[in-house]
Amino acid sequence: MSTGPASLLTLVIRHDQDVVTARQRAGTIADLLGFDSGEQTRIATAVSEIVRNAFRYAGAGQVEFLVDRGAQPQTLIIRVVDRGKGIPQLERVLNGSYKSSTGMGLGITGARRLMDEFQIESTPARGTRIVMRKVLPPRAPVLTEARVVTILRTIRSHQPAGMAEEFQRQNQELLRALDELQTRQEELVRLNRELEDTNRGVVALYAELDEKADHLRRADELKSRFLSNMTHEFRTPVNSIIGLCNLIVEDRQRDGHEVEQEVVYIRKAAEQLGELVNDLLDLAKVEAGKTPVRPAPVDVSKLFGALRGMLRPLLLNQAVALAFDAADDLPALITDEAKVSQILRNLISNALKFTERGEVRVGAALATNGKHIAFTVSDTGIGIAPEDQQRIFEEFTQIEHRLQRGVRGTGLGLPLSKRLAELLGGTISVSSEAGIGSTFSVTLPVRHSAAEEPALEFDWRAEPGKRPVLVVDDAADEHLIYEKLLKGTAFQIYPATTIEQAEHALGVIHPALVLLDIRLRGAESWDLLLRLRRDPATDQIPVIVVSALDERERALALGAQAYFSKPVPRRALLDTMDALTTSSSGSMRVLLVEDEEISRYLIAQALDGAYQLTACADAEAGLREARAHAADVILLDLMLPGITGWEMLDALREDASTRDVPVIIVSGSALDHAGRAHLLRHARDVISKADLTRERLLGAIAAAVGR
Amino acid sequence: MERIPILKMGEYLLVTIQVDMHDRVAMTLQDDLTARIVSAHAKGVLIDISALEIVDSFIGRMLGDLAAMSRVLAAETVVVGMRPAVAITLVELGLSLTGVRTALNVERGMELLRRRIAEQGRDGAGSD
Repeated sequence: MSTGPASLLTLVIRHDQDVVTARQRAGTIADLLGFDSGEQTRIATAVSEIVRNAFRYAGAGQVEFLVDRGAQPQTLIIRVVDRGKGIPQLERVLNGSYKSSTGMGLGITGARRLMDEFQIESTPARGTRIVMRKVLPPRAPVLTEARVVTILRTIRSHQPAGMAEEFQRQNQELLRALDELQTRQEELVRLNRELEDTNRGVVALYAELDEKADHLRRADELKSRFLSNMTHEFRTPVNSIIGLCNLIVEDRQRDGHEVEQEVVYIRKAAEQLGELVNDLLDLAKVEAGKTPVRPAPVDVSKLFGALRGMLRPLLLNQAVALAFDAADDLPALITDEAKVSQILRNLISNALKFTERGEVRVGAALATNGKHIAFTVSDTGIGIAPEDQQRIFEEFTQIEHRLQRGVRGTGLGLPLSKRLAELLGGTISVSSEAGIGSTFSVTLPVRHSAAEEPALEFDWRAEPGKRPVLVVDDAADEHLIYEKLLKGTAFQIYPATTIEQAEHALGVIHPALVLLDIRLRGAESWDLLLRLRRDPATDQIPVIVVSALDERERALALGAQAYFSKPVPRRALLDTMDALTTSSSGSMRVLLVEDEEISRYLIAQALDGAYQLTACADAEAGLREARAHAADVILLDLMLPGITGWEMLDALREDASTRDVPVIIVSGSALDHAGRAHLLRHARDVISKADLTRERLLGAIAAAVGR
Repeated sequence: MERIPILKMGEYLLVTIQVDMHDRVAMTLQDDLTARIVSAHAKGVLIDISALEIVDSFIGRMLGDLAAMSRVLAAETVVVGMRPAVAITLVELGLSLTGVRTALNVERGMELLRRRIAEQGRDGAGSD
């Protein structure tokens, strides 16, 4: 039998957990050696104290469990060694008088009390070595060699942490569940916050909707007010017309009564009505964004002249003067003249309305950058308060004022002007002082951006009583010269700067004459002349060629009716134009198909003496008449009862006897360019009933029958 | 990091120490528990150590400190389920758990807490 202690287990202490393992192993070993549970706890506790000291004060250590079988009685030996700094006040610790600064200090004395024997050696800088002994209980089994081997095997296979690990795992799970709960709670809080935000958003949305509804209500109210206003505006001239007509019809029984003044009044009222309708149409178009810009060369002084003429009737107050002054250095504008005119007309008529005395001054000046022109309309009127200066550009706004109540308006003038200015790429602004006057400024680009490419279409309106002359010349300023040249004559120029424009124009209007300027585009211009002559639709149109070179022979040979070299003598040109377009028409027959009695009457009056007129009230009668008696020209209304004008046109084209008779459409509705161009594919000319004057009608018929 | 779970039961906190904690876990428990007393407005704390096979001087002191801290935070602490061998060893170690109330099991501990809190309520009302 060997003597000397047998080592059961050695543990290295490096971590917190090692302390726990050491005391648990101590408990297990004590159990295996036969100690009762009280002793097991004592041994484990003592190991825990000493091992902790080693770990805490020396940083690391080692614990060894041994059993001394040779000793009597058999003894458990626990050896704890560290290589720390040693225990400086060992004596005081051991006699219990030491008070640790960490509040500890119970470890060594406590452990000593729990064990049977306790030896401690502590050398400064060498470390501490503690040996504790516990005598095995008398009833414990004798430690034979075999028994020790069994114990060793049990210790090695023992998993003291099994239970603990299970608990640990469960703890972790519990902790995870708690964490999850916490996360969920936070999620709920977040969700709640989000819901609150959403709720706030919904509330804000409601407020916005309320605001919108309010806005709509206000707009609706304004529109109602506007409508009642408009209704009144309409009723006034209509009432005048009815009243005046009654007067005339009743007075016809009395002889010698002067009706002329009454008719003038009627015309005035009707014109007023027409203007109102036009304004409404303009507004509707601008609102729908359907207003096309048709840039063309604009002469500012000419524009001012036209405005002066147009606005003279408004100058009822002798105390107010209307002055126009345009700067001299103005370049030719390329913009939409009709729209500029409309804007200025609005501004000037407003200025005249709100000025009791003083003057209204209209000016035009080039901006310093040379790219914009500024039109100004200044008055010495009532002025506009600063808070109203933006409001006046809003629809249906009318500022309360004594003068405002006197003059009725639609509240649309300034908003429309603003939109038109913006349409032209410009701006409109106002500066004003109440009681002193106002100045409205309209700044427009000198060249409208769409004018870079010469537009094929522009706003050209047949002037009543004038006959269109297509002027083909590639220089825009040359058109101004022709325009001046033909001023005051029965001709109105339709300018074309390119061959494409000229050909486009022939689809839109039916010119009484073509003035063809042979310039740089010589070859192209001669080609155009050739085409005009070859096309049966245009071979009847007289052409006058103008050129700087002597090309008379060539021009006449190619089919031109006349030739002029530059500079063109005005008198001779006009005489030639008159000669080429005047016709002897007395014996010509005109067939009119029109269901409206008043129109029939008006046309009959207009043609009285010049042509032989046959009038039919519907298409059936018209067709019968056309087949029975060959007409030289047919005037046709499209809106007919029964067979429509369109069907009649088809019928005329199908019949060989009527196929070649030129047809002029008399249209009741206002036509735009597209509509007009469409109709011109089917008829020689289109006349709107709105411009149905004697001159226009005669001109159209003359052109249709080829003078 | 290993942690000891703390459960809230009404106005009490229940800590069941089921593992042999090493020192750092014990310190963490101390921090967690004091924080939880505050956040949960707990009036009492039950610490169940029935699973602990040994309580050495460190853990014993930790329990004592916990009780003292809870008192400062106006919560009563009761340690329940201490094994007889553990109790004996504690005494032999020379560690008197001053200020730590103990009870045999959770049920008794709960009862003790309830009674203590009721007494405090009465005393508080009387002294006000």
